[in-house]
Amino acid sequence: MGSGERTPLKTRPGSLAQTFRSNPLSYVGKTLIVAFAYYVAARLGLRVALIERNVTPLWPPTGIALVAFLVFGRAMWPGVALAAFAVNLPINTNVLSAAATAAGNTFAPLVAASLLISVGFRRDIDRLWDAVHIVFLGALLSTLISASVGAGTLVLSGAISAHEFPAAWAVWWTGDAMGVLVVAPFLLSLFQRPWSGSLRERTEGAALLLLVAVVSLLVMNTDRGLMFLVIPFLGWTAWRFQQRGAAPAALIAVAIASWAAAHSLGPFRQGTLFERMITLQSFDATVAFSSLFLAALVTERMRDREALERAADELEVRVTRRTAELSAANELLKREIVERHETDQRLRQREGQLAEAQQAAQVGSWEWFIPENRVSWSDEMFRIHGFLPQEFPLTFEKAVEQVAEDDVARIRANVKAALERGRGQHLPDIEYRIVRPDGVERVLRGKAKLSVGANGEPLRMIGTVQDVTESKMAEREHRIAETLQRSLLPDRLPEIPGVLLTARYVPATSDMEIGGDWYDVVQLPDGRVGLAIGDVAGHGLRAASTMGQMRMALRVCALEERSPNRVVTRLRHLVRGQLDSEFATLVYLVFDPDSGTVRFANAGHPPPLVVRGREGATYLEGGLGPPLGAVGFPDHYLDVTYHLAAGSTLFLFTDGLVERRGATIRDGLDRLKALVAASDEDLEAICDHLLFEMVGSDVSDDVALLALRPVLLASEPLLLRLPAEPYVLASFRWTLRRWLREIGASPQIANDILIACGEACANVIQHAYGAKDGLLEVDLVLLDGTVEVTVRDRGAWRPSGGRGAGYGERLIRGLMDSVDVNSGSEGTVVRMRRRLQAGSQGERARAR
Amino acid sequence: MCGCGADFRQDRKVSELARVEAEDRGNLCVIRLHGEVDISNDREVLAAIETAVPHSALQLIVDLTHTTYLDSAGLALLLRLAERLQARRQQMLIVAPLGSPVRTVLELTGLPRVIPLEGRLEDAVRESERGVRDGRQESS
Repeated sequence: MGSGERTPLKTRPGSLAQTFRSNPLSYVGKTLIVAFAYYVAARLGLRVALIERNVTPLWPPTGIALVAFLVFGRAMWPGVALAAFAVNLPINTNVLSAAATAAGNTFAPLVAASLLISVGFRRDIDRLWDAVHIVFLGALLSTLISASVGAGTLVLSGAISAHEFPAAWAVWWTGDAMGVLVVAPFLLSLFQRPWSGSLRERTEGAALLLLVAVVSLLVMNTDRGLMFLVIPFLGWTAWRFQQRGAAPAALIAVAIASWAAAHSLGPFRQGTLFERMITLQSFDATVAFSSLFLAALVTERMRDREALERAADELEVRVTRRTAELSAANELLKREIVERHETDQRLRQREGQLAEAQQAAQVGSWEWFIPENRVSWSDEMFRIHGFLPQEFPLTFEKAVEQVAEDDVARIRANVKAALERGRGQHLPDIEYRIVRPDGVERVLRGKAKLSVGANGEPLRMIGTVQDVTESKMAEREHRIAETLQRSLLPDRLPEIPGVLLTARYVPATSDMEIGGDWYDVVQLPDGRVGLAIGDVAGHGLRAASTMGQMRMALRVCALEERSPNRVVTRLRHLVRGQLDSEFATLVYLVFDPDSGTVRFANAGHPPPLVVRGREGATYLEGGLGPPLGAVGFPDHYLDVTYHLAAGSTLFLFTDGLVERRGATIRDGLDRLKALVAASDEDLEAICDHLLFEMVGSDVSDDVALLALRPVLLASEPLLLRLPAEPYVLASFRWTLRRWLREIGASPQIANDILIACGEACANVIQHAYGAKDGLLEVDLVLLDGTVEVTVRDRGAWRPSGGRGAGYGERLIRGLMDSVDVNSGSEGTVVRMRRRLQAGSQGERARAR
Repeated sequence: MCGCGADFRQDRKVSELARVEAEDRGNLCVIRLHGEVDISNDREVLAAIETAVPHSALQLIVDLTHTTYLDSAGLALLLRLAERLQARRQQMLIVAPLGSPVRTVLELTGLPRVIPLEGRLEDAVRESERGVRDGRQESS
């Protein structure tokens, strides 16, 4: 018995013509087989007829017809009808009665087949309901038709009398019913799928069937009424082989019983025909029902058990699968719990970090839940306001309690404007003051953002607050320091004839604080130039102010002291005595344009650098003493003298130029030296190049650079523009002396020109401008061996007075070859000439 | 020896220009003027010299050997000094070496006609000692 699908029996619903068309050969063949089988079975059945040869207690053809309809389709009816007619024709009185009987015999199984198909009968009869249906619909109900038609026909044809009708009808009905009950299951079992039983099972089946036959024959050959002995064997067969075994066994038992009844053997030896009929029919019914129901039941049970087993197997598989799923889910859950825990930990950590970050940045955050007017502050927010973290609950009013009065108004205005706009937005940043409970005032900078609901109703405002008090103060200090430093560094360098000077100052970009780098150029009265460069330790306001004091002190000392080491020593005393031990470095250097000598002293500063054209660069490393303000060193500075030839260049700089992260100062000094030696001629360009190469755009420390280059004056006319003040005369004379020397004037002649120029200039200073400031313009040009001096002013000469007034003009005219004076409304021009070779009036005067 | 124009707070540029050195030889005072004299420091130089000359000195020698520059303002200074000394009956001589820058100026302006001029200090000293002697003889 199989696990195969058991589909409800389906016959083709189509008409005879359709069936014929679809496969005419197969149809005709099947019809003929059915007709033949019917006919043979009918002849066999008639052999056991009890009434008039044509009413038999077992009528197999009905079962054959039903099976034919169920298996091959109801289109088989012509075969059945034909065979039935052929069977009935010889045993009926006339053709009409034979046809009527045949029709009834055909119609009954046709109805039975239709009913069974309509209730979904299965040919395997493996369900109890199939057994019930074939018993009641197939066997008992439909055969009423053939019995009624057949018995009626017998009466109408006059074969039997009317009072015999009930007995004939009953025999006909039971015969047809038994034919269905006994034959149909047997035939259907033959059309089941091939049996896959083992040899042992086949042997067992055959033995059982044989046993049933033997037992049946035995009980039929004794009149002791032992017919019931067949039943257990039928039951056994049904139990072992279900319909496949039960149907043939039942057929065998019924066939033998029918044969015995027909021949009045054993149990059928006594009694009337009716009594024998009852006995046979009850035996047949018992056999048929028992085998049919038992087989169906066993099949059903077995199927149920299989289904159960399968279900159990499936359940096991499902349980296994489910268990696996559950354990996977469990794992997942565990992992999730761990992850949740970790997330939670991280969250806590992050909250902690946020709080720390807020504390470090002095940034507090707040949140205002507008509908319930509840404000929450971060811990740092409380700290900024001078409270312990989360000291008290807050509302908006409470939150702004400490804010300065006019600032509260601004905050309220901002908030009001934002709420009125009714959309999510950032509020303008605001800076405001608060007063802490201890009275300390702080400056805060606030940022805020408004969130609104779906209908634009304000929900929440969040914001941050930063304590910017320190940075505001630092900003202010930085501004002051910057201004101070700018005002302290020379805004322009003095123009000194014969000396090219340039300076650079670059403040650190990264550092907000300004440095203490400084430089200065002082014109000394004897024509020398003092150059100072220094670096005061520290940054900011204090460094800038120290630097300013140093610069002023240096100016004073430079004018009083001729020797650089004295200047530096005095500054050191100043720093240690007055400036509270500020640490500072300084190079002070005096350049004498006349002699081209440089004298300097160095207090812990990077050495001056000299470049001598193609001869290369040298650091002037001598004379290095301790930095100013450094304690524990002797006050000992030395002057170093160096000759600076024309065309040489001298650089003074602060350490910012040569210091670079990751490199030593020595490296920086070497790089600078290499760069300077390779750089081009123009002094401004050299300085720009040095800054670009050494410092670049990222200036980590302040840089000051001062460059000096002596140049020959004689190559050019000497054009001087000086304030018309007495003090300029001395340095003017130094320049003039040098120029005259360089153009090759003899000392005598140079002196003559010097005095004449001095007189002319003194005249301008004394007389041209009165109390007002004015400009003294002096041009000296060498033309064809003659020096032409032009002294010009833009004032109005007032009459000269005082002693010696006449001497000036007398001197000018006596010392120069020619003198022209042109006085006008725009000023006075004195033009004087003196030849360098021939004798002059001065020489004539000396000759006297 | 005394500094001159040391008060640089008034005009610091002046301070480096000139230096006045006085040597007291009893009746004779020798003033050595170093450096330069122009309109920027003539008053200070004059004041320094006047301060340096003791009232006891009958003769004053102004030595311009080390004076590197002297213009009309210097001439005026010398004239004024000579006038004041004359009023106090003190005599004054000037020393300027031949060929020196100052000598040219002095000669061009005819100053030697007003104030005796010598080329060397020794000559001036000898001359002044004689003048002192003569003066004593005259006065006795």
